Amino acid sequence: MPIPAPVQAAPEKENVRKLREPLHSHKQLKLLPGYIIITVWVLFTFMLLGWVLCASLSTTPEIFKGAVGTFPSGLHFENYVKAWGSQNVSRIFMNSLGYSIISCFALIFICAPCAYALSRFKFWGNKAMQSGFVAAMGVPVAMIVLPLFCLVAQMNMMDNGIRNRIVLIFLYIGINVPYTTIFLLTFFANLSRSFEEAASIDGCPPVKIFWKIMFPMAQPGIITVTIFNFINIWNEYFLSLIFANSDQMRPVAVGLYSMINSMKYTGDWSGMFAAVVIVFLPTFLLYIFLSEKIIAGVTAGGVKG
Amino acid sequence: MKRNKGMIVAFILPALFFFALTFVYPIIRTILMSFFRIDNVTASMAQWQFSGIDNYTKLLSTPVFKTALLNLLKIWLFGGVIVMALALLFAVILSSGIRGKKFFRAVIYLPNIVSAVALAVMWQQYVFSNQYGLLKPIADAGGWQWLDPEHKFLALLLAYCFGMVGYHMLIFLSGIERISTDYFEAGRIDGTNQFTQFRYITLSLLKGVFKTNITMWSITSAGFFVWSQLFSSVTTDTTVITPLVYLYAQTFGSGNTVTERNAGLGAAIGIVLAIFVVIVFWVCNTALKDDDLEF
Repeated sequence: MPIPAPVQAAPEKENVRKLREPLHSHKQLKLLPGYIIITVWVLFTFMLLGWVLCASLSTTPEIFKGAVGTFPSGLHFENYVKAWGSQNVSRIFMNSLGYSIISCFALIFICAPCAYALSRFKFWGNKAMQSGFVAAMGVPVAMIVLPLFCLVAQMNMMDNGIRNRIVLIFLYIGINVPYTTIFLLTFFANLSRSFEEAASIDGCPPVKIFWKIMFPMAQPGIITVTIFNFINIWNEYFLSLIFANSDQMRPVAVGLYSMINSMKYTGDWSGMFAAVVIVFLPTFLLYIFLSEKIIAGVTAGGVKG
Repeated sequence: MKRNKGMIVAFILPALFFFALTFVYPIIRTILMSFFRIDNVTASMAQWQFSGIDNYTKLLSTPVFKTALLNLLKIWLFGGVIVMALALLFAVILSSGIRGKKFFRAVIYLPNIVSAVALAVMWQQYVFSNQYGLLKPIADAGGWQWLDPEHKFLALLLAYCFGMVGYHMLIFLSGIERISTDYFEAGRIDGTNQFTQFRYITLSLLKGVFKTNITMWSITSAGFFVWSQLFSSVTTDTTVITPLVYLYAQTFGSGNTVTERNAGLGAAIGIVLAIFVVIVFWVCNTALKDDDLEF
């Protein structure tokens, strides 16, 4: 069953054009300046990431000698073992993994029904709610953080225990609700109504229509928005800094920052670079396998990066 | 389709609950807070003392905040020009029919998925290092260092822009790809060169995309925090401080520049940032009157 997703149309067109246009050396020559500019930028990106990868496999003295990439004493994979074991990296990593996965699942089950209702039914406040969600995407975090902190503190939720984790997950969900809902709303709006009509004629109740028919059909959109949510939550910094005050609670971004600060005293630079790579790995792996989906998603329904 | 009130309520309520609690309630309370003197963020409303617009006047006469605001405007303006120019350039190159477009596009967007903390570490420890840095030769030629107080802001700006180009490029790219090839075809028949084609066809049809890009850029600028914190050597480093960093130091932190504890001031900072976004949005909407052109 073809699902009308506008984002998937573009690559096809591209392939067709590619088949019709064989490599013209004249045309490619005209594009040479473009190639050069893009290549320089791409090389720089690779050097930046490659250097960190190499540094994470070198020893600290080698890094300071500027000998990164030559590996005079071989590859030091033990940096990773050390960072994972002794440097809290395993803890912040597992924290972030937990926060991100739970929030991503919750976001789908909270936002998908809402997006569906907003896209399909006319009711009082529908338009206002949509505008509210869109506006919320532009609200600076500085506008919401103080009352949230006050609320959480008054409820004694920052206890470095399970309640603190609930607060963090609640916030990760809350700040991503508008974006997720609007993204899925555009997706549902593009799905044909004929399936629902057919099911409804057969006597299927609307709630069941959603969960059994529409929700599965929205899967491509749900996957895309979940990748975004995962990356956003994984990299979230400001709220985590305020609401995760202890080492036990910290997600990767804030944990990495406090590690860097303590690095000034321990001087284990290779271990720090190993930690940077570990923190960066999950989103990077996601990106390697799903970059086309992510790129299509940036411009498709969403206006957030 | 049969209307089903119970279902609509059940479907909408959870999202609405989160929305009300993380956006509606805090926004209203922040607006209120900005007009009060509040000794502690956690103080209940009964302990607030009404002070009118004192918080705003006090903010605007605080040198550190003025510096922070100025830094933000500099990042927004200079960073914006750099990022938009590069993003547009890359988008035009990528849509000009070069080979390996998907690969290039993926690599240029890559920094956007990397944690800003990790990116900042890469830049500071490698690119700007004064021992083996990639850009060390440039600084050496001028006899300075990237991370010294005079050049730290520039370093921060470059590193930040590098990470932002990919996202805005994708928005431009999707805009350019939506322009019908008929326009370019017609232009070619009329004998336009690449420059006039770009100026009169691509640019004039990209107004809406510019608006999206500038709005998004402004929203991200208003939340500028992590880069500033990572480039600070002391808690509130005035060379790279931004309003959000000041708010953090003012309300939560152990800042060395905090003269008084007043959560109302923090709230006023939030309002100032929101006003900044609204103004940009409004100016964009008026200046770039949307294309009635369908394409």
